[in-house]
Amino acid sequence: MKEVSLFIPCTVDLFAPRIGEAVVNLLRRVGANPIYHEEQTCCGQPAMNAGYREEAKKVAKHFITVFEKDPVIVSPAGSCVCMVKDHYPEILEDEPDWFRRAKDLAPRVYEFSQYLVDVLKVEDVGASFEGKVTYHESCHILRGLGVSEQPKKLIRAVKGAQLIPLDNADSCCGFGGEFANDFPDISESMVKDKVESFLTSGADLLVLNEPGCFLNIGGYLNRNHPGKRIMHLASFLATNGREAEYGN
Amino acid sequence: MEIKTEQFTELARKELKNERTRFFLKVIPAVMKARRDAGMANLPDPSAAMACGAAIRAEALARLPELLEEFEKNATANGMKVFWARDDKEANEFIKKLAKEKGVRYVTKGKSMVTEETALNELLEEHGIEVWETDLGEFIAQQLHRPPFHIVGPAINVPVEEVRDLFIQKIGLKEPTLDPIQLGYAARLFLRDKFHHVQMGVTGVNVAVAETGTIINVENEGNIRFTKASPPVQVSVMSLEKVVASMEDALHMIRLVCRNCTGQRISVYVSMDSGPKKKDEIDGPEELYIVIVDNGRSKIYQDAKARDALRCIRCGACLVSCPVWRQVGGYAYGWAYSGPMGQVLNPMILGLERTQELYRASTLCGSCKSICPVGIDHPSLFLYYRAKDVLGDPNFKSVNRPWMERKFFKMFSWAAATPWAWNMGVRMARPIMNKDAQNGVVSKAKGPFQGWFRSRNIPAMAGDTFHDRWKNNLKDKG
Repeated sequence: MKEVSLFIPCTVDLFAPRIGEAVVNLLRRVGANPIYHEEQTCCGQPAMNAGYREEAKKVAKHFITVFEKDPVIVSPAGSCVCMVKDHYPEILEDEPDWFRRAKDLAPRVYEFSQYLVDVLKVEDVGASFEGKVTYHESCHILRGLGVSEQPKKLIRAVKGAQLIPLDNADSCCGFGGEFANDFPDISESMVKDKVESFLTSGADLLVLNEPGCFLNIGGYLNRNHPGKRIMHLASFLATNGREAEYGN
Repeated sequence: MEIKTEQFTELARKELKNERTRFFLKVIPAVMKARRDAGMANLPDPSAAMACGAAIRAEALARLPELLEEFEKNATANGMKVFWARDDKEANEFIKKLAKEKGVRYVTKGKSMVTEETALNELLEEHGIEVWETDLGEFIAQQLHRPPFHIVGPAINVPVEEVRDLFIQKIGLKEPTLDPIQLGYAARLFLRDKFHHVQMGVTGVNVAVAETGTIINVENEGNIRFTKASPPVQVSVMSLEKVVASMEDALHMIRLVCRNCTGQRISVYVSMDSGPKKKDEIDGPEELYIVIVDNGRSKIYQDAKARDALRCIRCGACLVSCPVWRQVGGYAYGWAYSGPMGQVLNPMILGLERTQELYRASTLCGSCKSICPVGIDHPSLFLYYRAKDVLGDPNFKSVNRPWMERKFFKMFSWAAATPWAWNMGVRMARPIMNKDAQNGVVSKAKGPFQGWFRSRNIPAMAGDTFHDRWKNNLKDKG
């Protein structure tokens, strides 16, 4: 059985562990063997985004040490994958040994829908859902990794599910890590627009595959439109769209 | 123009509450973006055209000192007079002195961002020289004493009723009308009179061509051509990065700038000047001055990474594609350049300290980068500026970050590289974080994270993290 190393971002670990469980279930369902290094923590993205490169470097080195022996690393978060693939080599550029190790690791890290569709060639994971689903194109998944068709293929293959378009699907939802906290007014206005698109789409469920957007859009829905449902793609596929509680 | 970059958050908040701005931003940017996309789509290979644009600008910057000298040599040979201005003051002073020497009572101006940057209008007016902006949008913005809302449409957000009232008051519009064509016509008649008697015209420059010593302007109203051709003295002001190597390169930049500005294949007017009027010619200025403005750019140029900001050709496509600009519009950025363009340029020209919020007010969504026709990686530059700011780099006029924040990230990185400390931190944070949790959701918090809770909840920290679930349950099921 193919061994797949789980890279569970801290947002999922702490605030939405069921997304991680869903990834485990799905990988097992399609015949892969997920393993999990308990020494993993965070990829360092918060430090990188705030400008603390020396601090981010320290975290990057820990990550590389934990994961570098794994042939395949899969994560349910696009921006964390971008951090490892793009920013690790960038910040370690002046340390040749670490730079080489970062470069070496980069091509083995996959976003989860990308891994299922592009590598395992799986589209139908045996899920079913009666209803209309719409998909939010998260920035780092779409523009960072160029992943857009893969999650849609997975959704289309769900028995009974109808994938319908979302207006401005590729506009940012206003998360941006510390941005949401530091510029709350602008961020609120952005997430409000995103939610409006969802509400007018006629979909029963908003699906996405980035935990940051999940926490942001979900947090806004939970506060302002409590009946409206949002799910991470992994949860959607693993639970046939039944798990839709935002909280823990 | 008064610099208000420090007030970004405050100005943004004001604009978020402005009904007019909200209404406008809901409609127009999407239309402009669609036009831009359609404009680019009529190129045989849009992404190749963008890659070519990026290569031209990269080469021009790599050879900048050499190209500027070549431009000066050829422009001078063509009879132009080139003046090098180290900063805004030198540029303004030169133009003011020239106007005084020539006994000029007023100047007409073609749209020029660099003179917004140097605040030329204010200085000339202080010295009793009237300034008439002749781009219709710029004319309206000037009369209203407002900064440009959008680089290509400086007054695009001003409602037609306000324009009518302004024209009645300022240019003697006789019959009140809301017909944009009639209003445009009234401005045209008014400005024609100004052009008729003008003694000195001031314009910007879209592209300067080193190999021929030519400057090029693109526009849709013909006012720049008037400003260049009517008066005996023409002054064209350019920031020093505007130069490219060859006419072929320049034409490609025009191809890109028009499409990315307005979706046009080419603007209504393109004018090229390679010197003042010659003896046997019937029109054109008798004297043509080129003012090349540095204003901090050669310092930016020393930094190989930040240098990329100088690729910008001011097309404005990044503004209408930016989800933040689309919420707050141009005023919030507090200066001549707004949106991602301003977020990469302003910090370099004004320094990192007074532009803090500009390079932080980004979700790093990458929309700007994905459409930039000259390959600027805006998010990467924002991260670079943030990093320079953390280092307190004096070359970037940065003054370091708050002590608490630095301490926080030191702790964070130590814990994230030390698994037992990380896990202990999680256990310690949980009861604090979940103090007010209800139904598994936290809806308020005090202290540094309260911004999040203004409009959102967050799940309570899980009693058993994924880590715990794996250890206690998931691992053995495999």
